[in-house]
Amino acid sequence: MRTLKIAFLFVLSGFFLNQTTAHDLVELQKSTSNKVVIKYMFNVGSMMDPEGKEGLSMLTASLISDGGSAQYTKSEINDLLYPMAASYNASVDKEVTVFTFEVHRDFIDSFYEIAKGLLYTPAFDENDFDRIKSNQQNYVDQIIKASSDEEYSKMALEDLLFRGTSYQHMIMGTSSGVNGITLDDAREFYKKYYTKDNLLIGIAGNYSEEFKKKLLLDKEQLPALQFTLPEAPEISMPDGLQVEIIEKENALGSAIYAGYPLDLTRADDDFAALMVANSWLGEHRKSYGQLYEKIRRLRSMNYGDYTYIEWYENGGRVQLPLAHVPRHSNYFSLWIRPVQIGIQLKAQYEELGSIEVGHAPFALRLAIREIDMLAKNGISNEDFELTRQFLRSYIKLFVQTTEKELGFLMDSHFYGRENYIAELDQLLANLTVEDVNEAARKYFQGENMYVCIVTDDSETEALADNLLENKPSPMSYSNLVREGLSEDILKEDEEVAGYKLNVKSVDVINSQDTFK
Amino acid sequence: MKILKILPLIFLTLACAPGDKDGGQVDDVFPYTIHQKALPNGLNVVTVPYESPGIASFYIIVRAGSREEVEQGKTGFAHFFEHMMFRGTDKYPTDVYNEALKSIGAAANANTWLDRTVYHMTGNAEMLDKMFEMEADRFQKLNYSVHDFKTEAGAVKGEYTKNYASPMMQLNEKTVDVAFENHTYKHTTMGFWDDVVDMPNQYEYSLQFFDRFYRPEYSTILVVGDVTPDLVNSLSEKYFGDWERGSYVPEIPVEPEQTETRFAHIQNANFPPYISLNYKAPAFDPDNKESASLSVISQILFSQKSELYKKLVIEERKCRYLGGGAMFTRDPYLFSIRASLHKPEDLQAVKNEITKSIQDLIDNGVDPKVLSDTKSHVKYDFATGLDSSTSIAQVLSYSIWATGDPEAFGRFYKLIETISVEDLQAAAKKYFIPEHLTISTISPEEEGGVL
Repeated sequence: MRTLKIAFLFVLSGFFLNQTTAHDLVELQKSTSNKVVIKYMFNVGSMMDPEGKEGLSMLTASLISDGGSAQYTKSEINDLLYPMAASYNASVDKEVTVFTFEVHRDFIDSFYEIAKGLLYTPAFDENDFDRIKSNQQNYVDQIIKASSDEEYSKMALEDLLFRGTSYQHMIMGTSSGVNGITLDDAREFYKKYYTKDNLLIGIAGNYSEEFKKKLLLDKEQLPALQFTLPEAPEISMPDGLQVEIIEKENALGSAIYAGYPLDLTRADDDFAALMVANSWLGEHRKSYGQLYEKIRRLRSMNYGDYTYIEWYENGGRVQLPLAHVPRHSNYFSLWIRPVQIGIQLKAQYEELGSIEVGHAPFALRLAIREIDMLAKNGISNEDFELTRQFLRSYIKLFVQTTEKELGFLMDSHFYGRENYIAELDQLLANLTVEDVNEAARKYFQGENMYVCIVTDDSETEALADNLLENKPSPMSYSNLVREGLSEDILKEDEEVAGYKLNVKSVDVINSQDTFK
Repeated sequence: MKILKILPLIFLTLACAPGDKDGGQVDDVFPYTIHQKALPNGLNVVTVPYESPGIASFYIIVRAGSREEVEQGKTGFAHFFEHMMFRGTDKYPTDVYNEALKSIGAAANANTWLDRTVYHMTGNAEMLDKMFEMEADRFQKLNYSVHDFKTEAGAVKGEYTKNYASPMMQLNEKTVDVAFENHTYKHTTMGFWDDVVDMPNQYEYSLQFFDRFYRPEYSTILVVGDVTPDLVNSLSEKYFGDWERGSYVPEIPVEPEQTETRFAHIQNANFPPYISLNYKAPAFDPDNKESASLSVISQILFSQKSELYKKLVIEERKCRYLGGGAMFTRDPYLFSIRASLHKPEDLQAVKNEITKSIQDLIDNGVDPKVLSDTKSHVKYDFATGLDSSTSIAQVLSYSIWATGDPEAFGRFYKLIETISVEDLQAAAKKYFIPEHLTISTISPEEEGGVL
């Protein structure tokens, strides 16, 4: 393995040299690649949606990525791209919109002509608009509420956490917001925000110098910047635990998301220290986080439990983080995947016939207790070394493909960094366990938090009552699990059951009344 | 990058040890060399060196999935057993295993499906020896307690609970239940809820399950990335060489021929109306033109480029979405055409348009240019998707679980290039018949109502 080790280091240094950045271009030349990736990142996102038009940034971007251009209709574009198997998409978040075009190098010139047309001369066709708007409306009205309760609770948490600010609504918008958008709104939005000074272009793969020049030259056809970028909202810490229960018919479990504002982003060097503490507590989709260990492995209450120190896009589906969700306004979040509700436990186990409520209060207490303990006690040096070792290898997997590598490089600029992954590796290398525990003390706490729970209407009352009254919530095991539990677990259960949460309010709302 | 360019050449030279079976480059369809070595115990070892500096993807494919769940009351067991594989051995109890896994810095997980269970980790190539050691230990010496077994069943319930919030998942469960009578494809990989609830009582059966399927003849080791075949082969011999062959062969029930259209329906007023037409499709065969023809048909008739998509999604806007195709399965499964609609009253009309487009292909064939464009599309789609050790390992593991052969997909994509209009017509005529159809719907109505 000696040779490999040397090669690895060598290649990494080569990798960094191969990537260059001008003021308005991020480049990643890969001479052995069979394709070319082009990205256009605009500083425009859902936080710029006008009041009453929530969802406009998404709809505008979709008109480009799923509509026609001045030259071709959507169907003609589908026909033209078909033999190339070229792909393109738009990614919209709170503050940025990114268009990604990927094609085999055999077709780069003809593909680029189509891509350019979409981006610089979109058709804004009435039929495309009606089609796309209808789907977006349907997502907000039905799909988000009926497809995945955990994704639903995640969106509902943002709605609660950022209430009254430009970050509150989903990227897809609100029901009335989408409904109120006209084609002219989209045209105006495009004209205002899709400007050449508001754009960062990225190119990666196997391309020529001439092609790169053309990319930069073509950008000049966009108008110049004529607006001031708005500030991301600053949110204050909630007073105690503010709980919102969303009740719906026929929910199979209780899906929980909780969080509080965090005054820290990738731009801060402290981020690396907090990342280690967070990874130890609840690394995304990993079996070695503390929460996973206690809630899933030892007690088997659900499918997994994780924590985050920044937005994690599509966490239910992806194992590794996606690019293009950079944000200035940040928060910590706790994801407890659906746990069993009372009526289900009663139906499955005779011995649980008299329980008042399902597992949600116990799971929440356990998780918050763990967060409190981490803030108070920190982690051991051994755990620090192991977690850091893990992260220094793991973060390299974020950028396995050319497209991802380019994406993370472009996001780096948002945070005032050149190469986030490389810089993060260095920051991790320089950390001490004291740095990590200091960050945990400073940023982690369980006293003040917004909590969203999507659950079945049969569970609502008992759940609300339990939390509001801070009643003990003993864990309700079936006999066949209880009989094998160790003394340690049973003792910890007792402590968790009586762990006081700083609940200040519990509101119950009907699913029909969300995202209106 | 110069150093790396030279390295693979050195590895290739080293790789060609006697006894290795080296597949040549499959022209430009699959551009990487696949090295295979069969160990005496029947374990196949597959290595694909790929330029991913310092990174290796290590996969173990076990050809046992919900298809192998032949006994009554044991649905969902292959998936449940996948969970148990993380419950430790004497050498690596779960917490020690987790620490070791963490030290590798890998993205690691496992998943189960109809025809297989796949265990995978992508991480630091320098830790390959450790990866082998850990995996070999649990694949041969898994040892969990009765309590751990009972406890893990709760996590499976949690998985079921999160998945089945979706009406689409509910419909899929119902569709396969209706479409199949005897074959184990009748149940989903997750299993029937009652069987999931009963899992804690199946400890003894779980030991039998491990004994039957976690054997070299069911398994393939696949490593893609910054590695050499020599290294992978020697690690395989070192850690898996003593793995004993088993003897169990399940009798998978044969599905009788379907003789009339069947129906599955979910009533839901809070979800967009939805229809899927599920025709019985042949088992995947990389060397059979019917499989290749059906793949081409899925593109021509149901992709975004298709006339049907233009009509139903773009122009008339009866549908929000349209798509269709067959999965590559070991036994005959389903070719499913799916559409999400705006209005429930259009369900019948959309069904009619879909069957009309199929009939049109049978009667009139397709424009040769569309066929050649489709071949180009398939080729470039495949080629541009192979851009990381993970994506290559995923493609090859699919080829392995569907056929047992990592080179099968390469052959299949070559075969697609030979498909004629007549081949398409013949396949469509044979497989898209109403007697072999299951119509599945979601609508606000009590009945699906689509004929």
